[in-house]
Amino acid sequence: MDEEDPKEYRWETGYEKTWEAIKEDDDGFLEASIADIIQRAKRKRQNKKEYGTKLGMMRHLYVVLDCSESMSSQDLKPTRFMCTLKLLEGFMDEFFDQNPISQIGVIIMHNKRAEKILDLAGNARKHIKLLKSLNKTSLVGEPSLQNGLEMALRSLKLLPTHASREILIIMGSLTTCDPSDINTTIESLKTDGVRCSVIGLAAEVHICKVLADKTGGVYNIILDDSHFKDLLYQQIDPPPAALGLESSLIKMGFPHQMSVEGTEEPLTMCMCHVDSADEASKLTTGGYYCPQCYSKYCELPVECRACGLTLVSAPHLARSYHHLFPAASYQEVVYEKQSEICFGCQKQFNEVDKQIFECLNCGNYFCIDCDIFVHDTLHTCPGCATNPSTFQITQTG
Amino acid sequence: MNNLELPTEKTAEFSSVDESSLVVIIFDSNPGQKLLRENPHLLTHCLDSIISFSNSHLMQKSQNKLAVMACHSRKSDFIYPGPGKPLDIRQVDGQYETFTLVEKTIKQNLAKHLAGESAMLNTESLLAGAIAMALCYISRLQRTKSPAFTLNSRILVVTGSSDSASQYMNYMNVFFTAQKQNVVIDVCALDQHLSLLQQGCDITGGLYLRLPQLQGLLQYLLWVFLPEPPIRQKLVLPPPVKVDYRAACFCHREMIDIGYVCSVCLSIFCKFSPICTTCHTVFKIPALAVKSKKKKIKL
Ligand SMILES: [Zn+2]
Ligand SMILES: [Zn+2]
Ligand SMILES: [Zn+2]
Ligand SMILES: [Zn+2]
Ligand SMILES: [Zn+2]
Repeated sequence: MDEEDPKEYRWETGYEKTWEAIKEDDDGFLEASIADIIQRAKRKRQNKKEYGTKLGMMRHLYVVLDCSESMSSQDLKPTRFMCTLKLLEGFMDEFFDQNPISQIGVIIMHNKRAEKILDLAGNARKHIKLLKSLNKTSLVGEPSLQNGLEMALRSLKLLPTHASREILIIMGSLTTCDPSDINTTIESLKTDGVRCSVIGLAAEVHICKVLADKTGGVYNIILDDSHFKDLLYQQIDPPPAALGLESSLIKMGFPHQMSVEGTEEPLTMCMCHVDSADEASKLTTGGYYCPQCYSKYCELPVECRACGLTLVSAPHLARSYHHLFPAASYQEVVYEKQSEICFGCQKQFNEVDKQIFECLNCGNYFCIDCDIFVHDTLHTCPGCATNPSTFQITQTG
Repeated sequence: MNNLELPTEKTAEFSSVDESSLVVIIFDSNPGQKLLRENPHLLTHCLDSIISFSNSHLMQKSQNKLAVMACHSRKSDFIYPGPGKPLDIRQVDGQYETFTLVEKTIKQNLAKHLAGESAMLNTESLLAGAIAMALCYISRLQRTKSPAFTLNSRILVVTGSSDSASQYMNYMNVFFTAQKQNVVIDVCALDQHLSLLQQGCDITGGLYLRLPQLQGLLQYLLWVFLPEPPIRQKLVLPPPVKVDYRAACFCHREMIDIGYVCSVCLSIFCKFSPICTTCHTVFKIPALAVKSKKKKIKL
């Protein structure tokens, strides 16, 4: 690697990688245009969100991580691998926050082999602990994309038909060393409805493009670390439901604390730590009881070990409703004194505000910061929510 | 109360110069609240208590910030600081000018806010929307403040309305946003028990209090809600109540222990049905359900 002049090196590859994007936007600086590309992509995605799209909410995702020699490259700081691990930590947290009843597994590829280091599981803490321990992984040899895909497929195949199946590949290498024809694997992924997306850390690789295209996933090459983060976090939004994904009604339990006013709760053992090596099961009061068999758990969501019922809390499910019921879209309009102040943050509009944003549902006007805040974080339009004719979020809208 | 033994260093920590706190009070001004329909004079009583509370908050530290909102079924407004220029206030009776300003502004803007709202309308107050506005406001203050300065923000909802499931999603969205932005939501329920707002307090680490008697409103506000959240752990406050997180089914809005969840949109139903009423998905009938419901479902 060109380590004497890392700046120029980064700029050059950056240029190569952004070739297509830069072309559309011919004048302008590289830094500015990266921020621009991210911002534009965000708006485009935002506008695509609408009521009534069927999404795969019960997601089962394998993250297949390249741990080959190419990941030790320093074009991301400190290395591609370290940068990836750091970003993945934040990703796991956010993913489970937004996809409360989904699961992630992790597979690594190095030395032409694939290794499953974490089975599908639904608890961010477990994943983050694992990622922290991964930094000692030896980055050797070439990856085998086929082996990684086959391993994930074997596990995803076993899932019930209403489960959304996905693979996310993070690939630093430009080559893959496969035992047989990878096209056969791609065909079976397609047949089993597994959506494969790839984030490339270097340059475009033909087979990755084929994989993503055929399975309905997306393929992107990062421009720099902030773009990497943006691409990764795009995977947090649940994808449209795959064709052939069956829908069903799933029986679930909503445990509540068992307490009778005025009485002390008995000390009981929880089921979650019964056979865990590092944390012993403790006698505690409180906890969540399976409404079907009364086993106790100290955390939700969880699948009851005794009777198999999925246990969740109502706010857990509510965390993902905004994917299905997004806030009304805002339209950019030229500021012509339509309103003195922003309806949300109460900021006075002035000459600097050339563009303001109008809610297409309630007709109130917002500043650009509120537009971003409402659509990225809040997911409820303050104008719609304070108006008796628009406050109810329904899918029929 | 034996809470006078605060360690001195701790007190110093909370009163550092570059840290201050913002309280956004959301006052439910709906004339249709049962409380106000029975006794309209209570509006003034509540308002006076809120003004006194506001002034106490501002008095605690000169950098402290305050916003007051009024909310009924048709709109929510900032009544302090309020739109436009601040009122021109001269010193009255030796009262601290800011206090006079707070009182005058709140009373004047509340009158404007209430104009045209009739007590006959008994529709619900759109509190979730008011909280959404408050979060936008807080987010702007956080964006525009100097980075060296820490602003701890909280929202205090004072309401006598009952809560209704029709705002469920808006409530959940504002609660999760507040949690993410470290905004504490406190609720002072003047009349009925509010199970949704109570969940919001629990999610954001705020306090929920159902007032035992309305006469003592100011005392309760000062005792329970005036201390900043970090100090509260050291005070003797009403014990937390257990929060009921059971789900309400989308079909009848009844609380359920076991339900059926649509795999496409996560809507919750209390019974198996062949089609999701929210997203119109037609379900494959699971083996078990076929057995028990064979007679009812014809497909
Ligand atoms: Zn059970
Ligand atoms: Zn704004
Ligand atoms: Zn709106
Ligand atoms: Zn029902
Ligand atoms: Zn549905």
